[in-house]
Amino acid sequence: MKRQLIAAVGVAAMVVGVAACSSSKSSDTASSSSSKPANYNGKTLTAWFMDGSAPQAWQDGVKADFESQFPGAKLNIQIQKWDGIGQKITTALSEGSVDVLEVGNTQTAGYAATGGLLDITKDKADLGGSDWASNLNASSVLDGKQYAAPWYFANRVVIYNKGLWTKAGISGAPKTLDEFYQDLDKLKAAGVGNPIYLPGQEWYTYFGLLAGTGGQIAKQSGSSWVGNLESPEAKAAFQTYQKLQSYSAAPKDKDEATPQQMTIFPKGDVGAMIGLGWEAPAPKDMPADNVGYFPLPGLTADKPSGVFLGGSNLAVAQASKNQDLAKGFLKIALSDKYEGMMAAAGLVPNKTSLNALATSDYAKAAIPASTNGATTPNIPAWANVENTPNPIKDFMAAALQGGDYDSLAKKYDDEITKRLAQKN
Amino acid sequence: MAVQSDPVRAQAPGPSNTDGAVPGDSLSGPRRSGPGLLSRFAPYALLAPAMLATLTLLLWPLVNTFVLSLQNLNKRQLIQHLTEWTGFSNYTDQLTSADFWHTTERSVVFTAINVVLIMVGGTLVGLLLNRLGSKMRLTLGVGLILAWAMPFVAQSTVYLWLFDSRYGVVNWGLDKLGWHSMATYNWTGNQASTFFVIILLIVWGSIPFVAFNMYAGLTTIPTELYEAARMDGAGAFKIFSSVIYPSLKPFFLGTTFLEIIWVFKSFTQVYTIDGGGPERSTETMPVYSFVEGIGNQHFGVGSAIAILTMVMLALAMVPYFRVILKQEDEL
Repeated sequence: MKRQLIAAVGVAAMVVGVAACSSSKSSDTASSSSSKPANYNGKTLTAWFMDGSAPQAWQDGVKADFESQFPGAKLNIQIQKWDGIGQKITTALSEGSVDVLEVGNTQTAGYAATGGLLDITKDKADLGGSDWASNLNASSVLDGKQYAAPWYFANRVVIYNKGLWTKAGISGAPKTLDEFYQDLDKLKAAGVGNPIYLPGQEWYTYFGLLAGTGGQIAKQSGSSWVGNLESPEAKAAFQTYQKLQSYSAAPKDKDEATPQQMTIFPKGDVGAMIGLGWEAPAPKDMPADNVGYFPLPGLTADKPSGVFLGGSNLAVAQASKNQDLAKGFLKIALSDKYEGMMAAAGLVPNKTSLNALATSDYAKAAIPASTNGATTPNIPAWANVENTPNPIKDFMAAALQGGDYDSLAKKYDDEITKRLAQKN
Repeated sequence: MAVQSDPVRAQAPGPSNTDGAVPGDSLSGPRRSGPGLLSRFAPYALLAPAMLATLTLLLWPLVNTFVLSLQNLNKRQLIQHLTEWTGFSNYTDQLTSADFWHTTERSVVFTAINVVLIMVGGTLVGLLLNRLGSKMRLTLGVGLILAWAMPFVAQSTVYLWLFDSRYGVVNWGLDKLGWHSMATYNWTGNQASTFFVIILLIVWGSIPFVAFNMYAGLTTIPTELYEAARMDGAGAFKIFSSVIYPSLKPFFLGTTFLEIIWVFKSFTQVYTIDGGGPERSTETMPVYSFVEGIGNQHFGVGSAIAILTMVMLALAMVPYFRVILKQEDEL
């Protein structure tokens, strides 16, 4: 019995080995036959998208269109988690195991500088690049060259549980931060455990609050960049964040993804959370008419708080053996048909002409807020700051747990400065 | 696990080795059959698979790590497959960095606390195993085996749940016992409490190994020795210090040094509990190497830290090898 088991394991191991050999061989032959462009038989384009980015209908549609336009070619869509994505992308770009990939807008410059992304400056017009909104395209450009194509943008809004708000006697969305605090007080008085769910390390919201007041998280000083948490704007924005966070029982030393706040919200004891459209509860967890959206209000009623303009670009790997296919794929994925689908899903599309398609409740709250949005400095070294452990997150956790703001800000500005100065 | 227990098995027969009969027999075996070619190469042929496995699985990665540590290897160099030699600058940067020395100091203290607790706890449990009746011994033995057999990540996950600030059973229990301020205590909120959880986890996971070895060692001590000691009026402490400790000295030595190695290089438990946080204050050497090397994508720097960690461990092992060599001379 035992011997049979050992034999079975051995055979299994051999089979795996043989399969590995054969698969690597077939990919070799595929690349050598690229002299015949009309025949895409046996070619597989591997595309990486991030968790929560592309709606299923979008993926299915793009896949079908791609495979009919390039007969014989296959599209292999892989969904990646954000956590630890930097190292995964580095490995994949080095090995050439990915052809097309979604890169966060704060990290695109960093990867462009590594030489891992294909320069697509010449293809920009063909991909529809003359109509891209210039502020959304900025993160795809480094030293005048186009290394990626803007795909979609998103900013966070307040997502709230209408039932709880009504029960607490609140009618209508707040127009100023002070009104919002009053509403949260009412929710608290009504016994809601988390009037707002806001973990201590949700640095995107902090970044937005800071950007909204004209502040910067890092500033240019001469030819180098330095951390700027010590600035009065950063301190003021932090006080706002701290006030909001005080209404939450969420852990102060965790971010919005641990645990995923979207899994906490539908449980019914959370009045509101600050999140992206895809984090809103699915209709099976909470009826859609119980979920409302409004932009995080500002100090005055005339404009909402600032937001972090998150977003993603699509890039082609320099090491890809299927660069023509990859460009063909980009053309399909970035066509008005599929960009419009992203807009309909509540995201900001890369062309302002498609904004009219963004009609969801989330989009109606998100688009006004995005006018007061900003993103991180578009420099290659910024990606270093977001490497785990992210000093901004550590700073927030420490300051929220009673640390002295000024001395912590000094300490973490030094760390941010150090990371921004790291050689590539 | 098998690899880990091998060195101790070699140690355990230590006391019985002193009579010299067993090794003599096994040596004279092949000699008697004559110096034929086959029998002369047989020992090497038998050693070869183990040597080959050691070389490919241990030495080869080690050599590669060393080669990497002499390079400036970040994501750009990795993606473009560039090799930029920088000599020993990764080493000099680390050896002049305050972070590096803080982490070293933290690792040494961390290892010392763990090893002392593991050895004391393991010895006591081993003594208990020896004294228990067969049913209770089986129960305790099964419990120890289960704790020991649990994969590190599973252990850490269980501890994370136990010590969860809102839903953890530890906080619930403390609250019920009257410590109401502990009801939502955040165990990973500061350095001391995070280390407390990590140390508890490592000590708990390491005690079974020491306890079983202790028990195995105790069974080799003839009961006459205890009886004689008791006749002479020795109490429990005296018996331990005069009978058990001298008989099991090789066990204590070997196990202590093994635990030093395992605790010093333990990565999984430290990293899974809080990733070296809060504020990087629970980073030990392996975690520091990982965060700098893989996390920050400075692969050359990470390799240099890993090599320095190995050098430190090797230095810490010097006393052990001296004792071993001395013992072999005596044989």
